[in-house]
Amino acid sequence: MTNEEVRQEIINFEIEAGDFSSGGEASSKLKSILRKLGIPSQLIRKTAITTYELEINIIIHTFGGRISAEVSPKEIKVIASDQGPGIEDVDKAFQPGYSTANEKAREMGFGAGMGLCNIKRYSDNLEVRTKIGEGTTIEAYIYLDQSGDNIE
Amino acid sequence: MIILNKNHSVLLVDQKCEGCTSCVKNCPTKAIRVHNGKAMIKDDYCIDCGECIRSCEHHAKSVLTENIDVINNYKYSIALLPPSFYGQFSKRINPEQISYALKGVGFFQVWDAALGAEVLNKATRAYLNREDEVLISSSCPVIVRLVQLLYPELIKHLSPFKAPVEIVAQAARYKIKKEYSVDDSDIGVFFITPCPAKRTAIENPLGLKESNIDGAIGVDVIYHQVITRLDNLEDLRRISLDREIPYNGIRWARSSGESELLDREDTLSVDGIHNVIEILEELDRGNLANIKYLELVACQPGCVGGVLNVKNPFMAKFNIELLLEKNKEIEGRNHNLCDYNIELDYFFKKKKIKPLDEDLLCAMKKLTKLEEVSKELPGLDCAACGAPDCRTLAEDIVGGLADKSNCVFILRKQIGDLADEMSRLTHTLPPVMQRKNRE
Repeated sequence: MTNEEVRQEIINFEIEAGDFSSGGEASSKLKSILRKLGIPSQLIRKTAITTYELEINIIIHTFGGRISAEVSPKEIKVIASDQGPGIEDVDKAFQPGYSTANEKAREMGFGAGMGLCNIKRYSDNLEVRTKIGEGTTIEAYIYLDQSGDNIE
Repeated sequence: MIILNKNHSVLLVDQKCEGCTSCVKNCPTKAIRVHNGKAMIKDDYCIDCGECIRSCEHHAKSVLTENIDVINNYKYSIALLPPSFYGQFSKRINPEQISYALKGVGFFQVWDAALGAEVLNKATRAYLNREDEVLISSSCPVIVRLVQLLYPELIKHLSPFKAPVEIVAQAARYKIKKEYSVDDSDIGVFFITPCPAKRTAIENPLGLKESNIDGAIGVDVIYHQVITRLDNLEDLRRISLDREIPYNGIRWARSSGESELLDREDTLSVDGIHNVIEILEELDRGNLANIKYLELVACQPGCVGGVLNVKNPFMAKFNIELLLEKNKEIEGRNHNLCDYNIELDYFFKKKKIKPLDEDLLCAMKKLTKLEEVSKELPGLDCAACGAPDCRTLAEDIVGGLADKSNCVFILRKQIGDLADEMSRLTHTLPPVMQRKNRE
């Protein structure tokens, strides 16, 4: 195995639907671990915001799910998977301001329709797989080598 | 007495330290460990917040401040008062009398840091109208050090101005030099400090090459001197003052003072270091919509809660409110707030925390080790090992700074295993005796 292939899971959190009080736990834990690994602070911030938005998405929009993150010398990969209901129109979901959040979420200051936009903005690459009735898996990548044109 | 670290102001009175770990558990940056029965502070992580002093029941921690005699080393000694100092006195005693008493102690002049607060308020108003970014107040040195250490990506939000004390110290120095045509070395500016952080900011200035202040005298040291002189005053009422008290700036003595003066709807005031950490987490997540100014102070409820103050923080706040109420007509008066230099020499810099290893692959290996060790530890966070929690002990073990047997539970298990092994061995007879036994 070459160094590039070394990959290590660094967090794995179960997230319950509607559990707003735990929102941010995964991203905070991830942030502190990335600091221990010596990742540059601007990349930690990108990863933390991406992870936080993914956490909140699971809490607001799904029946519950899981957030994990892996690190390799090449990248940080954040994986959010849920048990449904799936995204009906992915293109639309990525439009700024578009939201299907309910009143409770909006009352708490969430559901402004910026979550997925922020995830797209702060991550360097994004893969979304979704199936109605089954669930969604989002993989967000933050590259450790930011010399390319992925720099924000 | 041991000076715990030359870069900080916390002292350990080692004969008083019981090694109890109260300070270890209360430290917001996990900077303290108890080793050899005594608390030690890790220089890189200390932000001078004073939580360790506050939480020590044995009064084993104190602050390194100047002795009062130091003012005699200068021809012109200046006392620079923080707004919170006025909270140490009841409404019977007014600022004029306090100044009079301080002159009795030997100060040539008394200046108010509150004046700098008013100058800063004016500059901050203009800045907020001009810029779009969120601004974090940089008046509390603990907050600046906290952001430098734990929130490096938020550093750009720190207010790019000097702290009020520095603004006033520079102005006072300049004025005396000009009026009395004296040498700079004849002037000694002494800040009456309510906390260790502001003392450290003199030795290790933030955003400045050099401080304009010569030393810090603790409120606890000077309070007694002031009080005894007030007792001896025949007529407390008939004292006129050579300066105007900046009542507006005195609002900064307690939290929300900055916000009140800014008079905007988009300011948020948070006090207490642990609350501040929570709000900075929110900001770091991009989660503070509609907030433009964050007034953050490490002590509760604001500077009146500084560990060197003598009055109960809430009583001190009460005293400040009374003083403001009594002088509300004067409050609105405008002093000349120009002619002050508020610019930093350089902007605040990020502080790099040492990672597990400089090489990412090695750091990843150490992280795996850390997780393994972490799982072995009981997770009770009892701190009996001298580290604040099991996770931090695991980090110290991986970093070679601690040993697994520092954990009393692991040690107990190791001894238990050893006892079992010993017991097994005692029942195992030598081969020559085994046969005998069977017979």
